[in-house]
Amino acid sequence: MAEPRFLIVDDFSTMRRIVRNLLKEIGFSNAEEAEDGAVALSMLKGSKFDFVVSDINMPNMNGFELLNNIKSDDNLKAIPVLMVTAEAKKEDIVLAAKSGAAGYIVKPFTKATLEEKVQKIMQKVAA
Amino acid sequence: MARDSNALAADAAGNALDGDATQIRKKRRRAARPVAAATAAKVSATSDTAARVADTNQCEHDGGVGSASADANDGVPPEPFYHRIGQLTRTLHDALRELGYDRDLAHVKEHLPDARDRLSYIARVTGEAAEKVLNAVDRARNVQQGLSAQAGGLHKRWQAVAAFAHGAADRATPAGRTLVAETCAFFSGVGGQADATNTILTDIMMAQDFHDLTGQVIRRVVTLATTMEEQLVRLLIDSTPPEQRKKVDGAIIEPSLNGPVVNGESRSEVVSNQSQVDDLLATLGF
Repeated sequence: MAEPRFLIVDDFSTMRRIVRNLLKEIGFSNAEEAEDGAVALSMLKGSKFDFVVSDINMPNMNGFELLNNIKSDDNLKAIPVLMVTAEAKKEDIVLAAKSGAAGYIVKPFTKATLEEKVQKIMQKVAA
Repeated sequence: MARDSNALAADAAGNALDGDATQIRKKRRRAARPVAAATAAKVSATSDTAARVADTNQCEHDGGVGSASADANDGVPPEPFYHRIGQLTRTLHDALRELGYDRDLAHVKEHLPDARDRLSYIARVTGEAAEKVLNAVDRARNVQQGLSAQAGGLHKRWQAVAAFAHGAADRATPAGRTLVAETCAFFSGVGGQADATNTILTDIMMAQDFHDLTGQVIRRVVTLATTMEEQLVRLLIDSTPPEQRKKVDGAIIEPSLNGPVVNGESRSEVVSNQSQVDDLLATLGF
């Protein structure tokens, strides 16, 4: 089975690197990066990805808009989207869940939290 | 018995008005002495404007707003509240211009971009520092991986030496056998120590998320400063004579006050940790 390909979406390069390194540590080294939702959507339409890890608060296209675009596109809607964000408002979490996010992690988070969520989503997708 | 808040507010407004009136009288006296007629005319205008402010405020003081509220309570349609605020603002603008406070506003407005630039500088420099740390972590990881691999290879070879030394006791001194055993143990332990170092490096890497979190807070403050600047610009435009208004740049930037929650523990509309997120999602069936 091919290694899953991740797309990490965050406007802060530091955060993208952190998530990328963490994914590598937990066994997923095939990852690309996008600095906002618009770039991410373009990459998703141009190439195959298996998992999206996205921030919410970004310029151009925020995480919710990206999520809605993914879930409204027949070719993309099966891709699980894990929201990793500093937004800790309950209404945002509820909105993310209702919009089809596969998971939600608040920053700052630990490696164990990311690993647990990613593995759980992977298992759900595989089932 | 404590007085109600409206009465206290009315007193405070009255005191402020008294203070303003005193200031205006002093200014008027200073300006009215030997100066030119033009200055006297300006002071007169200032006085008139201040009087208009005072009148408007006095209206509020005497029950303008209070009576609107009372009317609303009586079921009578409220007075055009926003129209009156607009009039008050206009009068205030005139007063600011005539008293020369527009220059003070301009001074504050000039300093806001500076404060914004400083905050942006902090965000940039801390971001660069975080990147440097991440680069160093990557290099240190590579060193640790190399060390671990080398130690693993040497451990296998020293195990062979140890087996030989053990089987040929007549050709190995006790000190030599001890040295071989300790060397084997050392190489055996390097892998574990490299793993421990990697865990520490992961902690260092994770700590760099401060840049993302503080960066978003700084962005929020910068946005606030931008909004304040924008409001001041508008105020300046309104208090600037029409013929000079072209000089004022009134670029509008839409505020976006998103970002990490500060003091989340004391707020009910936010969660403060991952377990609360999970609990909330669980209640939604996720």
